[in-house]
Amino acid sequence: MSYRLNPAFAGELARFGGETVNKCFNCGTCTAVCALSKGDTVFPRKIIRYVQLGLEERLKESPEPWLCYYCGGCSDTCPREAHPGELMMAVRRWLTTKYDWTGLSKRLYLSGAWEIGLLAGFALGVLGFFLVPGLFGIPFGFQAIKGPALEHVRLDLFAPKAWVHYGDWTLALLLALLLGINALRMVHFVLRGEKGLKIPLSAWFTKLPELVVHGVTQKRWLECDNDTRWRWVQHFLLVTGYATMFLLVVVFLPWFQRDTSQFHWTALFGYYGTVMLLGVTVLAMRGRFRKQEPIHKFSHATDWMFLVLLFLTAVSGIALHLFRLLDLPWPTYAMYVVHLMIAVPMLAIEVPFGKWAHLAFRPVAKYLAAVQEAARAQELLPAATAPRAIAA
Amino acid sequence: MAKIRERYDALVIGGGIAGMQAALDLGEQGYDVLLVEKEPSIGGVMVGLNKVFPTLDCSSCICTPRMAEAAHHARIQLQTYTEVERVEKKGTGFAVHLVKKPRFLIEDDCVGCNLCELACPIDVPHEFDYGLGARRAVYIPHGNAIPQTAVLDVENCVFCGKCEKVCPTHCFDFTQEAEEVTTSAGAVIIATGLQITPMAAKKEYGGDTFVNVMNPLGMERIQSSNGPYGRVLRPSDGKIPRSIAYVQCAGSRDRSIGIPYCSRVCCMYALKQALLLTHYIHGVEVTLYYMDIRAFGKGYEQFYRRAVKEGVKATKGKVAKITEADNHDLILRVEMLDENGRVEERRHDLVVLAQGLVPGWHVGGVVDAEEAEDGFLLTPEAKVSPSHTTMEGVFVGGVAAGPKDIPDAIVEAGEAAMAAANYLERIGWRAMAGAVLGASAAKQEVVETWEMH
Repeated sequence: MSYRLNPAFAGELARFGGETVNKCFNCGTCTAVCALSKGDTVFPRKIIRYVQLGLEERLKESPEPWLCYYCGGCSDTCPREAHPGELMMAVRRWLTTKYDWTGLSKRLYLSGAWEIGLLAGFALGVLGFFLVPGLFGIPFGFQAIKGPALEHVRLDLFAPKAWVHYGDWTLALLLALLLGINALRMVHFVLRGEKGLKIPLSAWFTKLPELVVHGVTQKRWLECDNDTRWRWVQHFLLVTGYATMFLLVVVFLPWFQRDTSQFHWTALFGYYGTVMLLGVTVLAMRGRFRKQEPIHKFSHATDWMFLVLLFLTAVSGIALHLFRLLDLPWPTYAMYVVHLMIAVPMLAIEVPFGKWAHLAFRPVAKYLAAVQEAARAQELLPAATAPRAIAA
Repeated sequence: MAKIRERYDALVIGGGIAGMQAALDLGEQGYDVLLVEKEPSIGGVMVGLNKVFPTLDCSSCICTPRMAEAAHHARIQLQTYTEVERVEKKGTGFAVHLVKKPRFLIEDDCVGCNLCELACPIDVPHEFDYGLGARRAVYIPHGNAIPQTAVLDVENCVFCGKCEKVCPTHCFDFTQEAEEVTTSAGAVIIATGLQITPMAAKKEYGGDTFVNVMNPLGMERIQSSNGPYGRVLRPSDGKIPRSIAYVQCAGSRDRSIGIPYCSRVCCMYALKQALLLTHYIHGVEVTLYYMDIRAFGKGYEQFYRRAVKEGVKATKGKVAKITEADNHDLILRVEMLDENGRVEERRHDLVVLAQGLVPGWHVGGVVDAEEAEDGFLLTPEAKVSPSHTTMEGVFVGGVAAGPKDIPDAIVEAGEAAMAAANYLERIGWRAMAGAVLGASAAKQEVVETWEMH
C-alpha cells in the first residue's frame, strides 16, 4: 500500500495549534513516559512522525490521538519542548475536521469569521423560531405575549412544551445523525488502516462493553501516570451535569419548564446540572488563564469559545430561573430566548463539528482499538503489521 | 610551599589537564605562572578516570606525569586548596585576590607519610570516589595526588588529636584560618573545567534516589584498578552486575532540564566504559540506550563499531523513566525506535546515567568576563580566536569554554597559553616588571629568560 506525503502538512497542523511539531527529534521519550501508550497503540511520537512526514492518510487511519487524555507527562519531559501533548490535541482538532464530511468543521476551526457567523446564524434562527410563527398568526413566541402572559409569567403560552419539544427533538436527532455519520466515517478510516486484519464478528460484540463503559465513565483517564484524578472528577461531574440537563430538556420538559414558583423535584436536578456546568467551566477558564498545567498552557480560539458559551448558557439559565421566580414576564421571555440563542448554536456547532464531538470519538477509538487487538491476538500477528513500520 | 610573590606573568585558574597544559606551555616559554587549584590536589577530573578513549590508555598514567611536570617546573608555582576571590583589572595587569583554605597543618612540614590518615577514627564518603569509597577526616587526597600533603576536613573532624600524636613532624595546627593573599598577573587563563550534570536533574531517572543508578564518574572509579571496590560491583548489595544499562543523553540535549546542548563526550565515554565492562565481567550484558551516537573524533567511529562488535548492545530510544524493583534492580521504560516503536520495560542490575558536562565554576563576581547562555565562558570569536574571552587579557582553555574531550581541551589550553604569551608581549608586561623592580632586576630577568631557551 502506498501513501502520499504532504510536505506542507506540518504547516497546516500549525493552524490547528500544532506549531511545535518540527522541534521534535524523535527520541521517543513521550511514548515511553506515557502510561497509556502500551501494547499495539503507541503514541505520541508515532503520530508526531506522521505529521512531520506529512502522512495524512496514516493519521486519518490512527485511533491513537483519541486514546490520549492529555495528562501532560510527555510535554513535561520532552527534551525539545515540542509539547507532544498539545500536538496530539492539534491532531484531534484536525481529525475532527477530517471525519466531518460537510467541510463545516474545518471552516469553524480555522476561521473566526465562520465560527462567529455560524453561531450568529443559528442564534438568529432561534430568534426566528419565536418570531416567525407569530407573523402567520400562530399564538407562539412573541406573538403570545399579551393578556394573561403580560400579567404573570406564562411560559406555557410563550413557549408551549409541545413546540419546544418539536424543536429540541429535531435538533437532537439532527445532531445525533451528523455526529453518528462522522463517527462512522472514523470507523471506516481506522479499519481501512489495517486492511489485512480479519476481524472476527464475535469481537464486535464481545468488545461492545468497552464502548459503553468508556463512553459513560471516561475511566481510561484514571490510568494516566500524573495525578489526573481531580481533572477526571471535574470532567465526570461536567458530563453528569450535561446529561442531567439534556434529560431535563428532552424528556422531562413538561415538569422542568414551569410557570408557578411551586417547588418540583426536577428543580433539584436543574440546580445540580447548573452548578456543575458553571463550576467546571469556571475552573477550566481559570486554568487556561493561569497556564499552570500542561493541558492549559495552550488555548486554541475554539477552546475559549466552547468554555465561554457553556458558561454563558449556565449564567443565562440562572437568570431565566430567577426572573421566572420573581414573576417578571418580559425579562423571563427575553431571557428564555437569549438562553436558547446561546445554547442551541453552541450545541449545533460543537456537537458534530467541534470539541464536543470527542464524546463519540473517544469511546469509539477505545472500542476499535480493543476490537483490533482481539483480532490481532486471534491471528497471532505481531504487534503491528507491515505498513506501520513507517513509524520507525 | 613557596610563598606567593607580588607579581606573576600569568595566573592560571584550575589545575586540571587544561590548566596544567596552559601553565606548562607558558612556563616553557619562560613566563612565571601561578597555578591555582581549589582542591587539595591538581589533576582535575582526568586523574580520577580509568582509561581514555579511543586508545584505552590508562588515564592516570598519562595524567600524573603532567601533574609532576607542572609541580616541579621552575617557572610554575602551584597553589592548591586555594580559591580565587576576585580578579580585577589594575593598570596594565590584574590584581588577584586569593583565599588559601586551611589544611590545618603546616604544608611544608607534611611529609605525606599518611600516618595521620591511618590513625584517624572517622570515615567519610570520599569525594574522589564520588561517594562510593571512604576516606578519613584527615587524608591525603588520593594515591596520585600532588602535592602528597594531608588535609584535615574540619566538618567531620572530632578533634580527638590522634593524628597529631602520630605525626612525625608535628605539623598539625588546629588554629589555622583561611588566609587572604593578594598578588598580580599580566594575563589570566581560566581552565576551570567541568562538573557533570547533577544526578537529581532529571527526576524521572531517580539519579539521586535509586542506589544502583550510577554517576558515570563513579563508574570510572569502580572500573579503576585503584578504585573503591577493586572490581565492578553494584552499590546496593555488592553483587556482580550481569546486566548493565547506559542511558545516553541523560544530562544533555534536554530542554526539560535546561541543558539543550550536546556534551560531546558522553557517547564516547559510555562506549568506552561499556566495552571495558565486557572485558571486566565475564558474560555481562551491556545495553546502551541512545538517541544518536555522536562519535565525533579521530578513531571514534571505529571505536563505536569495535564496541558493538565486541558485544555492547546499542539500542535506539531515549529512556523516559526509571523505576526501582524490590531488590534494587531497575526498570527502564523505553520506546524501541528500531523495533516498530514498541514500548518496553527492561530490567537491569545497574544503570549508568551518561550525564553531560556543565561548567565547573562560574566567573560571576570574580572575573568580569561574560558567560554565554549555556553558562560556559563566552568566546566571541570562537572560530579564529577560540581562547579569547570578552575581557582583554583573560583567556580560556578546556571545558570552561564548552564541552570537549581531553585532546581538544589540551589543544585549546595550548592555544590559550600562546594567546596569553602574545598578549603579554604586546602590553610589554615583562619590560614593565623592569620599570617596577628596578633596572638591574629587569636585566637579570631578561638574561634568565634568555638562558632558559
